[in-house]
Amino acid sequence: MSLEDPTKPELDAGETTEGVDYDALESLLGEYAIGRESHVNAEAFVVRPDEVQAALELLRAEAGFDHCSCVTAQEYEDRYESIYHLRKYDDPTQEVGVVVPTSRDDPVSESANEVYRTADWHEREAYDLVGIEYDDHPDLRRILLPETWQGHPLSLDYDQEQPQVVEFSEHANPLKEDHSGDAESDTMFLNIGPHHPATHGVLHLKTTLDGEQIADVESDIGYLHRCEEQICQNGTYRHQIMPYPDRWDYISAGILNEWAYARAAEDMADIDVPEYAQVIRTMSAEMCRIASHMLALATFALDIYGDFTAIFMYAMKDREIMQNLLEDLTGQRLMFNYLRLGGVAWDLPEPREDFFEQTRDFLDELPEKLEEYHNMITSNEIFQLRCVNTGVLGPDVAKSYGATGPVARGSGVDYDIRRDDPYGYYDELDWDVVTEQGCDNYSRVLVRMREVEESAKIIDQCVDLLEEWPEEERTIQSNVPRTLKPEADTEIYRSVEGAKGELGIYMRADGTDKPARFKIRSPCFSNLQTLPEMSQGEYIPDLIASLGSLDIVLGEVDR
Amino acid sequence: MSSDNTNTTETTQEARMGEGVDSRFNSTLREAFGSSPFILTKFDKFMNWVRGSSMFMLQFGIACCSIEMMHTYGVKHDLDRFGAGVPRASPRQADVIIVPGTIVSKFAPRMKRVYDQMPEPKFVVGMGSCTISGGPFQEGYNVIKGAEEVIPVDIHVPGCPPRPEALVYGVAKLQERIANGESAPVTVAPYELEQFGDLDDDELVQHLADQIDEEELVMRYDWAESPSP
Amino acid sequence: MTFTETISGLLPIAGPISDFIGGAVASLIIVSFLMSLVAVSGIWGKRKITAAFTDRIAVNRHGPFGLLIIVADAVRLLSKELIVPEGVDRPAWDLGPLVMASSALLGFAVIPMGTLFGLNLQVADPQAGLAYVFATASIASVGLVMAGYSSNNKYSMLGGLRAVAQNLAYEIPLVVTGVSVVLFAGSLQLSEIVAQQGQTLVSLGGVAIPSWYAFVNPFAFLLFMVANLAEVGRNPFDVPEAPTEIVAGWQTEYSSVYFVLCYLSEFIHIFLGGAIIATIFLGGPAGPFLPGFVWMVIKILAVYLFTQWARSAIPRVRIDQLIEIGWKGMLVLSFANLVLTAVIVGVIA
Repeated sequence: MSLEDPTKPELDAGETTEGVDYDALESLLGEYAIGRESHVNAEAFVVRPDEVQAALELLRAEAGFDHCSCVTAQEYEDRYESIYHLRKYDDPTQEVGVVVPTSRDDPVSESANEVYRTADWHEREAYDLVGIEYDDHPDLRRILLPETWQGHPLSLDYDQEQPQVVEFSEHANPLKEDHSGDAESDTMFLNIGPHHPATHGVLHLKTTLDGEQIADVESDIGYLHRCEEQICQNGTYRHQIMPYPDRWDYISAGILNEWAYARAAEDMADIDVPEYAQVIRTMSAEMCRIASHMLALATFALDIYGDFTAIFMYAMKDREIMQNLLEDLTGQRLMFNYLRLGGVAWDLPEPREDFFEQTRDFLDELPEKLEEYHNMITSNEIFQLRCVNTGVLGPDVAKSYGATGPVARGSGVDYDIRRDDPYGYYDELDWDVVTEQGCDNYSRVLVRMREVEESAKIIDQCVDLLEEWPEEERTIQSNVPRTLKPEADTEIYRSVEGAKGELGIYMRADGTDKPARFKIRSPCFSNLQTLPEMSQGEYIPDLIASLGSLDIVLGEVDR
Repeated sequence: MSSDNTNTTETTQEARMGEGVDSRFNSTLREAFGSSPFILTKFDKFMNWVRGSSMFMLQFGIACCSIEMMHTYGVKHDLDRFGAGVPRASPRQADVIIVPGTIVSKFAPRMKRVYDQMPEPKFVVGMGSCTISGGPFQEGYNVIKGAEEVIPVDIHVPGCPPRPEALVYGVAKLQERIANGESAPVTVAPYELEQFGDLDDDELVQHLADQIDEEELVMRYDWAESPSP
Repeated sequence: MTFTETISGLLPIAGPISDFIGGAVASLIIVSFLMSLVAVSGIWGKRKITAAFTDRIAVNRHGPFGLLIIVADAVRLLSKELIVPEGVDRPAWDLGPLVMASSALLGFAVIPMGTLFGLNLQVADPQAGLAYVFATASIASVGLVMAGYSSNNKYSMLGGLRAVAQNLAYEIPLVVTGVSVVLFAGSLQLSEIVAQQGQTLVSLGGVAIPSWYAFVNPFAFLLFMVANLAEVGRNPFDVPEAPTEIVAGWQTEYSSVYFVLCYLSEFIHIFLGGAIIATIFLGGPAGPFLPGFVWMVIKILAVYLFTQWARSAIPRVRIDQLIEIGWKGMLVLSFANLVLTAVIVGVIA
């Protein structure tokens, strides 16, 4: 977790041994930077809307900001604004923001798609929800809401009461004549989803097939767009937002998600978290990660093996144990709502010894169980035949799409926020970041299975710590004001390592007890974007396998 | 889907309402006999037992609740003990659709279509608060305030998400009701699928309506009219 | 004396009419038996077996061991609404499931099902019995294509095409491996093949090991089992259905009665596969103590259990890999097996 990679020959422009030198960056940007803002996480430079590409290209090529983490769009009384949150894969603590204001009358700014491929979907979302238009964007359509939607729901003058009409025919009719292009074409159009057993929820893939091979695939998302950002903007910082993160990535990753919000809000309002609470957070978060990876394994087995087979059921059985532990701790099986700003909701369940014992039992049995999974899955030759060298995602492609988490680590990108931008108790513990160089479906599955081992290591150390923690020092909650009202115009982007990758939160305060803008950077949203790269030219079963190995959760993709 | 245009005035909801056995249990035999003679009563009883005892579920996941639904099929809770644990991926072969999650504007027409593709008699279990009222997301601009705005629901299982035990109870309760020949009361939905908009039904409109393709139907969401928080 | 001859012998008349009636009655009895076998093992047994593989219990609320689920499932499926989707190619769509179900049933006409109460339960015993079985079993492919293309659904279409590609690739190794058995037996007549396996191969400590072809030529047995998995479409070769890829494959659009027929045909195919394996590799109805018929059923169910086991534990191969394994692996191996067998038989004889 060093800030500087010793193997790295030289520093990027604007980089010092201490981190980012923003003055140097400003002079690098030269006349592109027409202003400078201070966000809690990093400095941000204001750039003219028609110079976005040039400025971003400079930052990427010269200053080494190769990860466009998030694009936030928002509307002020007098202007629209797009913020590009940039950081480095080598060292995510080095961050910089690029703020692009546009006028209210003509909200057009240049697209960043040429520089960062990931900006494609982010900008479509900005257009859909806020109403900013992007020049040069390859395909500026609505992404989350139906094409027929009237208005942009996160803009200031949106009328939520107005009736909306959604056509049936918007969803391409699978029975219609569909030889795309001329009648001579050999391709066939096939809808996969939104109701399909392999889409892991309500994803819709518009695929063009050439025989059994994928000529083209386009993801159509938004079938689970539950207005999470709007709902968080209507909730108060202190209590009303925390239940919702559980429902973004609902595959038991609740505490990981809650932590994303807790981290952002705590940094924004300058709240300390007692060390004891940090250890509990770390432990419960890793429990969630195990439960989440187990389900990823189970559903991947579903995709490769067919209907509810043995592996699926075994993984479910093991998840059940994890859920019982989490239920003992938090009181709920799935939607924990356990973290509080400045700590956790309550201490470990009494009697503590029982809880520790059960946790230890699980950890003791885990290696044997993983061995069985390896026997049944990864060392099966047919499985290898299916997964090795299919769905290949090279590291550079993964980076340009902003892929994070097991997807990036399966492509050999050594990037884990827990280590690189430490929070909680992670930097005190002994564990490793798992990477695989294979870049294929097999590597991604393997990364998850090995991460389960690492998580078990972390939990084990946390249990040791908690067991010996002196009784009088068990503070689970620091003093937090009853109503939190961060200063107006405080802006922050903070991220944690969720189960699927970098889960970031952007918040802007306006002096009230509710955020003025709440933006979620979902790892699945970026990861799903890589699907066409992975599956073009491959077969339908590979597409399904790739989708399964991406381990997307539609609740988080659509938010 | 083969559609019978003479019958379009009866909504799905109306078909579920009223006295006695509802029309999804419709049998040509009963129509032939008119009233219900003894032998048909026994036959009905048998058929109700049959329908209540064995169910194929549609493999249908939407949101958070689908995780708990998988656990209900899974090792510990094993819904198959009740004869209701065979998931079918194709709606043509399913009897029960469990709606496990939030329904949003874009998905509602698709769900309606999937429901329409299932053969009668079909039953709906609404799982979780989102299918009752939109649940925690009710105030969202895009969220349908309950599954009943789109399809009729037989059993609601509240919770966010309901525990697997609760879903097992819900399914068992549905089986019990079917076995007793009880028809599901359906709460009044503020709008059904609108077919031809708000125009008066005159000759010209009728003529135009005949030319409308079924695929061109729209879902109309009138947020102001739908149940408010 | 075959079953048909036994029954027609009981009739007061003789000639073609009595033969016809005898055949019809005999077939009816065999078919009813198969139906009940499917009902028990296809509806109830399948759930219980899958549950056993996955640590569950499965149906236990309906009667003893949940056995009444058989009645409930069967009646419910038959009483469902039959949906005929728009744009289906009507005669083909209706005939598809029928062709599939009947092709498998036809195969059972020549299978020696063993004896029960002194009755030889074999409907007919033609000279070319084995050729007839392979011929009828492969008619099912026609049914699959009909179902696939006529459903007017792309998933069905893909499923149908996959099914044909798969059956073509695996039918040949299946038949060629079967021929190697014929070389041993010197006859295509199934009763003759069974009789040949009655001889003692070796005697180990007083226990006579019969010369079942599974023992004589285990390699051919293995090849046949694998090819048979592909024939009946079970993991790792269940690509025509592939529930997570193409929804339900060729049977996506079928509901109610037609779905029952599809379901039925699938299971009868598995049983036919089991019956062929039992007949040409496992000594047919031979076995100690129990009547031959019971042994036959046990052997068929053992093969059925094997397919269910494969289904629960083995991943599915991709369609192109499946074809590759079929044409480049199985075909070559099966011909090698045939040549080798021919040489051995030629040298010994």
